[in-house]
Amino acid sequence: MFLQQLINGLVLGSTYALIALGYTMVYGIIELINFAHGEIYMFGAFVGMYLVTVFKVPFVIAFLLAMVLASLLGVTVEFLAYRPLRRSSRLAALISAIGASIFLQNLALLVMGPRPYTFPSPFTPKVYKTSLVTISRVEIIILVISFLLMIGLTFLIQKTKIGKAMRATAQDKDAASLMGINIDLVITVTFAVGSALGAAAGVMVGIYFRTVTPMMGLMPGLKGFVAAVLGGIGSIPGAMLGGLLLGIAEVMGAAYISSQYRDAIAFAILIIVLLFKPAGLIGRFMQEKV
Amino acid sequence: MYRKKFFWVTLLVFGLILAMVTGCTQPETTTPQDGDEPDGPVAGADVVKVGMVGPLTGGAATYGISVRNGAQIAIDEANENEEIPGVTLEFISEDTEGDWSKAANAFSKLIEQNKVDVIVGAVLSSETEAGGPIAMSGKVPTISPSSTATGLTIGNPYLFRNCLSDEVQASQLAEYANVELGFEKFAILYTNNDYGVALKDAFEETAKELAEVVAVEAFMDNDENFKPQLTSIQRKDPEAIFVAGYYTEAAKIAQQALEQGLEVQFFGADGFYSPVLMEIGQDAVEGAIFTAGFHSGDESPVVQNFVNKYRQLFNEEPDMFAAQAYDAARIVIEAMKSKGTSSEQIREGLAEIKDFPGITGNTSIDEEGDTLKDVLILKVEDGVFQRLR
Repeated sequence: MFLQQLINGLVLGSTYALIALGYTMVYGIIELINFAHGEIYMFGAFVGMYLVTVFKVPFVIAFLLAMVLASLLGVTVEFLAYRPLRRSSRLAALISAIGASIFLQNLALLVMGPRPYTFPSPFTPKVYKTSLVTISRVEIIILVISFLLMIGLTFLIQKTKIGKAMRATAQDKDAASLMGINIDLVITVTFAVGSALGAAAGVMVGIYFRTVTPMMGLMPGLKGFVAAVLGGIGSIPGAMLGGLLLGIAEVMGAAYISSQYRDAIAFAILIIVLLFKPAGLIGRFMQEKV
Repeated sequence: MYRKKFFWVTLLVFGLILAMVTGCTQPETTTPQDGDEPDGPVAGADVVKVGMVGPLTGGAATYGISVRNGAQIAIDEANENEEIPGVTLEFISEDTEGDWSKAANAFSKLIEQNKVDVIVGAVLSSETEAGGPIAMSGKVPTISPSSTATGLTIGNPYLFRNCLSDEVQASQLAEYANVELGFEKFAILYTNNDYGVALKDAFEETAKELAEVVAVEAFMDNDENFKPQLTSIQRKDPEAIFVAGYYTEAAKIAQQALEQGLEVQFFGADGFYSPVLMEIGQDAVEGAIFTAGFHSGDESPVVQNFVNKYRQLFNEEPDMFAAQAYDAARIVIEAMKSKGTSSEQIREGLAEIKDFPGITGNTSIDEEGDTLKDVLILKVEDGVFQRLR
């Protein structure tokens, strides 16, 4: 039972981790909590669903296209809603982010209607059973893709030139720009990569639970934010750890405390972390830059 | 310092969003006939006004729109066939957005401004609870096609309803599952709202008398992941799971149970009644058994007449709400035919309804204004609903 719930938590947590990465990357670079991230996740899921059901595109291609299109949406949101406010107060950008989130949500409601859409699973359902645990093929695929994406992201940030530029920008934007780094490009790439990860999570959750709705980004978006804060907002390994821990905590709470309090547990964690370790588990408080 | 302050402001905003999200923000569905425009023909000698109250926009809009559409068909039929000589019925619908305080306003407006003679509504139990006393003080008879809350009509001689109560459905189903089908070990998975809790309580009570309930777990509306609850349930090894909730969640529960190798019989209530159940659930919901107030596959001519008209006019399958609203409006027309068309006469007529042959079964109204009618039991067979009882 415990082991089984641990697996349930890991699957849920790995999708939270992917969403949390989008929050944390953007926060790391421009110190903005991009509340529209949940809607990008939803957009990704819709694109994936449409490509698979209407255009009969093979799943792998639909998955990649959903990531690409969601990146474009993320970059567009940044360009329209955040870039004009880059020199204004951070609060203005935050409010703009909330506005973008509500706008995208209602746009989806208007275009798609409130009913749930079915996302047929592209994989023949298969369950692997041992004496201790059962795990389905979809769950294995979600775990594998999530970890591959996280490894890929770590590689991008640590080993590539653009990754180096991102790290430099996160440390000190002005100094980085003096070193010849194109800050606008770095921010665009950050939004693109973060959105692509969010879309990947959206598509995977879509095939896992077989439905896509315009409101689906709301809760996971907030949970992704909690996961990012739990790990230490701005820290990439922190977001991964935070996501996995949040998923496990939620599932264990539902299993051993009460299934009624599942969401309450997630947000209680947020409050406790903020009270006792506001920098998150592996985040650290940076000195205010002058 | 600035950063710290900013952090708290961020938190505050986050809290506000959360409050907003849990409070409201639901889809808005627009339809051609929204608002308080009179829908029926206004010409004719004597005009009797029939009001309708329900959510036409917002998250519960799908129920309100079904109710309005169903009642509309009944009213149009009565006008076309001149069922009540010399009288034209006018239909006026008021939107509540699913909010009980707006429902109270809608009742007041219909009674005081539009001067309606009778009201079909409201839709949600909370709306009817708010509107019932207003209808009573305005002396306007009101019949709700769908408010199932326990004891709703007691103490209000102007309030009637035409729907199955949650308690009756759940306890009859528990009995059927045990006595007719021989199930002995049940688990219950319920959605944590009025509807789910009422069903759970009634099912649990009856099932415990007859057999054994080994697990009771809750979930929230719009939940997607039921693995933790199903894993807990699986350990208790039940033969059947009663899902007290709506079709979207029920389909996902069945799906995820199958995925983790939990092979049980699924039971449910009228919340299962939608083609979306099979659309999402596919093979996993095959064989599921549930109670319902209406079966659109019923071959009797009255049901087929309604189903065909509904499809033609609104381009979708009628659901239980539409069918019960159609019957509620038919019952109102029946009361007018037997007693007369003033509010007081309609009230008297409604109180005396006995064995009315509706599309949702034979309906009688008891001394409290509550309905007595048959509970149908349906089963998913080859992807369509079949009637078991």
